[in-house]
Amino acid sequence: MSRIGVFVCHCGENIGRTVDCAAVAQACGELPGVVHSIDYKYMCSDPGQALVKQAVAEHKLDGVVVAACSPHMHEKTFRKTVANAGINRFLCEMANVREHCSWIHEDREEATQKAIDLTRFIVEKIKHNVPLEPIKIPVTRRALVIGGGIAGIQAALDIADGGCEVVLVEKEPSIGGHMSQLSETFPTLDCSQCILTPRMVEVYQHPRIKLMAYAEVDKVEGYIGNFTVTVRQKARGVNASLCNGCGECQKVCPNKKIASEFDAGLGKRPAIYVPFPQAVPNIPVIDRANCALYKGRARNAKKDACKKCEEVCGRKAIDFDQQDTFLTEKVGAIVVATGYQLYNIKKEQDKEAISGYGEYGYGTIPDVIDGLQFERLASASGPTGGKILRPSDGKEPKTVVFLQCIGSRDPAKGIDYCSKICCMYIAKHTMLYHHKVHGGQAIVFFMDIRAGGKGYDEFTRRAIEENDALYVRGRVSKMYRDGDVIKVLGFDTLSGEPMHIDADMVVLATAMRPQPGIESLAQKLSVSYDRFGFINEAHPKLRPVETNTAGVYVAGACQAPRDIPDAVAMASATASKILGLFSASELEREPLVAQVDQGTCAGCFHCVRVCPYGAVEHFEVKDRKGNLIKTVAQVNKGVCQGCGTCQANCPSKSVELQGFTDQQIFAAINAF
Amino acid sequence: MAAKTSTDKASFKPRIAAFVCNWCTYTGADLAGTSRLQMAPNVRIIRLPCTGRIDPLFIIKAFERGADGVIVSGCHPADCHYTSGNYHARRRFAVARDVFGFMGIDPKRITFSWVSASEGGKWAEVVNDTTARVQELGPFSAYREMEARV
Amino acid sequence: MQALQELARKLLTDKTANVVIGWGQGPRGPRPIFVTQPEHADRLIFDTRCVHNLATYLNPRRAHLVPFVKKAVVVKPCDARAVAGLIRETQVKREDVVLIGMRCGGVVRDSDMDGKLTEATVSPRCMDCPDREPKLADHLMGEEASAPPKGKGPDMIAKLDAMSPAERWEFWQKELERCVRCHACREVCPMCFCDRCIADKSMPQWIESSPHPRGNLSWQMTRVMHMAGRCVGCGECTRACPVDIPLGLILRKMTQTVEERFGYRVSDDPTVPAPMGAYRLDDKQEFIL
Repeated sequence: MSRIGVFVCHCGENIGRTVDCAAVAQACGELPGVVHSIDYKYMCSDPGQALVKQAVAEHKLDGVVVAACSPHMHEKTFRKTVANAGINRFLCEMANVREHCSWIHEDREEATQKAIDLTRFIVEKIKHNVPLEPIKIPVTRRALVIGGGIAGIQAALDIADGGCEVVLVEKEPSIGGHMSQLSETFPTLDCSQCILTPRMVEVYQHPRIKLMAYAEVDKVEGYIGNFTVTVRQKARGVNASLCNGCGECQKVCPNKKIASEFDAGLGKRPAIYVPFPQAVPNIPVIDRANCALYKGRARNAKKDACKKCEEVCGRKAIDFDQQDTFLTEKVGAIVVATGYQLYNIKKEQDKEAISGYGEYGYGTIPDVIDGLQFERLASASGPTGGKILRPSDGKEPKTVVFLQCIGSRDPAKGIDYCSKICCMYIAKHTMLYHHKVHGGQAIVFFMDIRAGGKGYDEFTRRAIEENDALYVRGRVSKMYRDGDVIKVLGFDTLSGEPMHIDADMVVLATAMRPQPGIESLAQKLSVSYDRFGFINEAHPKLRPVETNTAGVYVAGACQAPRDIPDAVAMASATASKILGLFSASELEREPLVAQVDQGTCAGCFHCVRVCPYGAVEHFEVKDRKGNLIKTVAQVNKGVCQGCGTCQANCPSKSVELQGFTDQQIFAAINAF
Repeated sequence: MAAKTSTDKASFKPRIAAFVCNWCTYTGADLAGTSRLQMAPNVRIIRLPCTGRIDPLFIIKAFERGADGVIVSGCHPADCHYTSGNYHARRRFAVARDVFGFMGIDPKRITFSWVSASEGGKWAEVVNDTTARVQELGPFSAYREMEARV
Repeated sequence: MQALQELARKLLTDKTANVVIGWGQGPRGPRPIFVTQPEHADRLIFDTRCVHNLATYLNPRRAHLVPFVKKAVVVKPCDARAVAGLIRETQVKREDVVLIGMRCGGVVRDSDMDGKLTEATVSPRCMDCPDREPKLADHLMGEEASAPPKGKGPDMIAKLDAMSPAERWEFWQKELERCVRCHACREVCPMCFCDRCIADKSMPQWIESSPHPRGNLSWQMTRVMHMAGRCVGCGECTRACPVDIPLGLILRKMTQTVEERFGYRVSDDPTVPAPMGAYRLDDKQEFIL
């Protein structure tokens, strides 16, 4: 028989005014199993809590029901109180007779009856409560960072500087990300590479960072504190431990006409290449799709077509037979920092919901470039050595039209959101253009100028007022090529005048989109993403760098369009979260998780399908000789978040959510 | 424990069980309280972590125990604290509603709603509308009277 | 028939299967038989009276058949859907079963009838069945089948849908008050494979176990909920019911709902995921406030 104590709080007048608390206490005192039932003015006050503690000891209570405010308000308080009194804190529950009763009803009789009912439900429920102990999970104090752009670099460095090991995985041959392609950065116009490359080198040399460039995450298993990650190290065709980065192989490679990814297609590179001179690691990769040897081998050619790089390599580092390798890494936390790609205006899109710009020729008009291409033109390390020359004929463009919001903020194109950084970088582009092309005219078509940020508005003002950029509020409805020029037909909505411009070059501020493949990575990590593919944060205000999967964090533009300071701030925030997680060798979690009765589980695995966290696993029940008896479900307590969806979907009710077991809910309904 | 319900419509006080998720609707109901929104006193809330945890058995059992109406409420789509519990619940109750209705349980006796933590007002509406609707339908005595048929 | 017997003999002789589950002649029409010896293969028959869903015998709950491991089963399209369901829900390994598929143009209501298939004798289960041959089968037998005759009688679902809730309640009360809770509907169902059925669970006892209208209603509603998106429409529960409760009616109603709402029809392709336990962001929710 239970020994339950009921404690009815008046909350001053808050409950007492409409609920007859003494009557509630009396009615509940008569319920079977209740051995002590009192009411008191302020149950949460020190004397109130002392009453609870005293009663627990005096009446040897094994259940405490506090009929007071919402459990969201004081459940923690009273659970602590009973714990101090020496019984398990999960033997305390609250009946909400304030928010759900006294505050919303006026009729004293009705409210009192309702308060009695609500308390009775909880009394019946608590008869089935059992003591629960916090779950302790060991923590591997080592983090994985996915993505080696500025966000990933920052996260890796902060975590490593904090004393923990980091594995940094980057899918490209070099870390650096998009920031390494930029010429100068707003709003200070400092050189992007000058501030980035020292950090890249720091990553490379850090004793606690294991850099895996040209690698991708293949598989993720486990849960917070205990992930096992399989990383695919893609075959470079070059033995990284032998190569000293002399660059001779690149000089002799006969195929030098491949569009350079780093130069956004404006420059050329050989088939064996490092993306850019400051690449980290400075080890080349053979582009197998364009290398004559591999192309020949794919056709089953009898003889290898070209081995120039191998012949010239003094270190014998070229390894044409190198294969992808898989490495297993154990980590306790994961940062997703995979960054962005730019939307293109082409007709073919990778997603059905997204469409291109037929009115701008679907990307077929020469000299219509995107923002990153302009960055490369403006960059001293770029294909033109920093001169603004248009790609088609290398002439200096005298009129350049910049279009903002290409894709962005346009539900008709399937991208509803603002890409956030374009207003600023277009302002920067007009400035760079003004500095580099004297007498050139920059014309910007914009919808709104969104320059929120420290020094940002001042920066755009400077572009307009001191750098002669002509800002036109309006959209461009059509553009087409006419001889040497691009006809741009727009509309100035402020003056109400149509605008017809003969442009030498057009720069499109195309939308930021998450990297291709983000969905499959998110699925591997069991984190959710929105319809655009951006990773969802756990809470948009209060948990901006956590995901819905414990132990997985998010930084930078894979979560939403971000500029560099935002991405860096997020990265440092993830590092701080992770260092906090790693500060203890064990992690404590609330024990309100699901548990499978392996005796009755039939192994249909409906639970596996519905679990939002991938917390349910297959478990093989074996006899003493090791023969398989059956395969059943098993809940990983480290991963389960306690939603109970598995239980509602279990036909035989072989899984129970602690704290909300069928026995408990049944008892509460039965008290109806 | 069920009080004998009079069949007289005027004096009939519907008894309604509400199964709500902890994060959205329960908190929304808390907000209705802090905002002192007056509402019908007929609804008794039973708190669950998520609508995903709510089993059609709960509804059946509530009717068996004398409820005249039932409310099931949770987070709006895309707002689920557990990301997808409400989506599973939505499918489950879409089927349950049809099956129960086909067996003769008037769908008007069951309210499904999404009430977020900020929708105290909506919660009050759900409570008042359901109470008024069930009041109109009269007591669900058929369920309780099943015993008499044997 | 001869082809079936020959195949069974071959499967047993070369040990591809240790048992062939099929139909044989019984005292009151065909009945399920388990052939383990090649020389007994000639006992197998197939005709329109072979109503039983033999997938039930693949159910791991049938402990006496488990030791055979490799089993060959003769299946109609509805039986094949059940086998697919068992594979989908990891109860059966595809490589452990050999499916001998029979083309099917419908069966009669029960095995003790004469086999003539007419509007009056066709089983209600065949009316909605779109499959003439089991696609999942390893071996396909029988002649090209045409669609079964349309059954006679009113469309009961439409009739019930047109009633008021109170009338429907009354209808089902009259039906369910005959229920003796023998659970034959569960035992015969190929998709009911729980080691411990919810109806037998006592802590807590969600469903009253005595034959009592309240528990009977809970049991049937719960059973149908558990069958949502899983019921193969074989109609065996209706046939097995000793007091003739039209159980198939509720299941067909549920099947319609599942198809209308989720665009899902139970098929014999085990790789198609079931609709419950999945969701779409844009699932209809017109019933939610």
